[in-house]
Amino acid sequence: MTDANFFFDNLPFFIPLIIVELVLMITAIVHIFRHQHYQHGNRWLWLLAVMFIQPFGAIAYFVFGRELE
Amino acid sequence: MKVMWYFTHKEILEAWRKHHLLIIGLIFMIFGIESPLIAKILPDILHSSFGSNLVINIPQPTSVDSWQQFYKNITQMGIYVLAIIFSGFMSQEVSQGTLVNLIAKGLPRFIVVLAKFLVAYLQWCGAILLAFVITWGYTAYYFPDNKSPQPLLGLVPLLIFGLFFTALLLLGSTLAVNNYFGFLFAAGSIIALTILNMWKSVQRWNPVALMTDNLRLVQGTEKLAHISPALMLTLGLTIVLVTLTIIIFNHKRL
Amino acid sequence: MMALLELAHVQKSFGTKQVLTDLTFSVEAGSIFGFVGENGAGKTTTMKLILGLEKLDAGQITVAQQTVKYGQNKTNQNIGYLPDVPEYYGYLTATEYLMLCGHLTGMHKSELPTRIKEMLAAVDLPQNKQRIHGFSRGMKQRLGIAQALLNRPRLLICDEPTSALDPAGRREFLDLLASLRGETTIIFSTHILNDVERICDQVGILNRGRLAVNETLVNLRQQFARPQLQLTFADLTSAQQAAVTLQVTEKVVQPQFSLPYQGASQQFTGQVLRQLLAADIVPLAVNQQQTSLEDIFLEVVK
Repeated sequence: MTDANFFFDNLPFFIPLIIVELVLMITAIVHIFRHQHYQHGNRWLWLLAVMFIQPFGAIAYFVFGRELE
Repeated sequence: MKVMWYFTHKEILEAWRKHHLLIIGLIFMIFGIESPLIAKILPDILHSSFGSNLVINIPQPTSVDSWQQFYKNITQMGIYVLAIIFSGFMSQEVSQGTLVNLIAKGLPRFIVVLAKFLVAYLQWCGAILLAFVITWGYTAYYFPDNKSPQPLLGLVPLLIFGLFFTALLLLGSTLAVNNYFGFLFAAGSIIALTILNMWKSVQRWNPVALMTDNLRLVQGTEKLAHISPALMLTLGLTIVLVTLTIIIFNHKRL
Repeated sequence: MMALLELAHVQKSFGTKQVLTDLTFSVEAGSIFGFVGENGAGKTTTMKLILGLEKLDAGQITVAQQTVKYGQNKTNQNIGYLPDVPEYYGYLTATEYLMLCGHLTGMHKSELPTRIKEMLAAVDLPQNKQRIHGFSRGMKQRLGIAQALLNRPRLLICDEPTSALDPAGRREFLDLLASLRGETTIIFSTHILNDVERICDQVGILNRGRLAVNETLVNLRQQFARPQLQLTFADLTSAQQAAVTLQVTEKVVQPQFSLPYQGASQQFTGQVLRQLLAADIVPLAVNQQQTSLEDIFLEVVK
């Protein structure tokens, strides 16, 4: 079985999964750009974390990164 | 009681506007989708990593594998994600001083504790139910066998365990010196209880049973009555923990 | 006149540190009470005790004839509180926060929307969807006033309200407080004595855990009246020469010094000027100095 086959076979799983992760990532990225200050870390660190460590980068951002209001 | 609603409303608004509801919803959707997916593709993964030369009989995945993944994801990751998100729910308000004004206006302190407990627990239930419904749907479609006759029965103890876990977080966060102490306190308590589980005699009483016996309940090989001592103890401990939190919070300087 | 607030033999300590030893005073309805004391004298503690936010060690506090009990809030329905640094939920709008406050103080649902609009207009805050998170320091202070006055409290407690405001904001705030005179009783803690002189009817000076002074400003001035004559010279040398002539014992380091005296001012001034002229020293200016609250304060806490 090729990777593509594998992917298309499980499309009913991957499509919602990808959508959910994209929503999470975009929400986090929008939030990062809308704020100048963070509890810990800086803008680049959080952008990298959110984009490349899915989905935990986004959780970490909202818990440890976002500015306290 | 009206006051309880006003403060609860504020807590819900907080969960929404701080994006907590959104994050929890999305994360638990991921858990819900991933669990049956991993059950389904695990044989393929094993196959491709060991090579087809190795003739081992990998059995076809069943609904039991799907539910096994579900409970593994929720109890080993999901609840700690919730714990991290809720960790500062009391300590942050105390350290920021936002409660002083409301308490000076006549908000009773025990209402603060109860409302925070309630809203956190509702989020716990919502999160787990969301993941459950999704996994259930996929499982029913992809693994239409009769090996898991009681999917709901496995969920009940987990929802009750949520009361205890939320109470632990609340007590930790009220005792807290920083915003992560609530998480550490709850996680530490669970580790301690897990260690305690090595003695067979305490297993039926241990609250941890509420998140270890789920699969057997789903399969129907264990009855809920078997862990009823643990269920009772968990409910009792929850009441003790919440009462203790109220007493401590009543004496806390704001 | 009836006392709206009464404290009797109030004691409070934190650990081994005795903050209030025997605090007794009352504030009459309708007056503006300036509560003065050094930093750490126990002003904030006293206010928190009145609000039932701290436990009394001994003594009694009554607000409108009702005893204050820690953790209970019957008395708080009559009190508006403006903390020194008000902290809000940044994710709420000003209207939402005031709505929460109104509900908590048991205001009627139907009157809340109009009352909130009224208060926001009174403190000059926008009525839009802007969240408190984006408010400036001054806006937060004004929101603090709005939430404190929302339920038309009989007693308003302000803890160092002006310390973080700029001069213009301070003046505005004091004018607002002064406009409440007569209908709302106000306790107002500060270490800016100028503010007290501007608006307060009565002054309480907290020192070593007791109220060392509790008087009207007028009486206080008379009681502590210590008239002084201030002399200003062209330079330090002539000031020092003058000091020698007038037998001033303190060391003169500025081209200006003050002479305390008793009796009639004209007589004393004439005597001083004659002495100086005899020594051929001419002062640039001669002023009568009124006793300031600062002098009184320093005298009291000495």
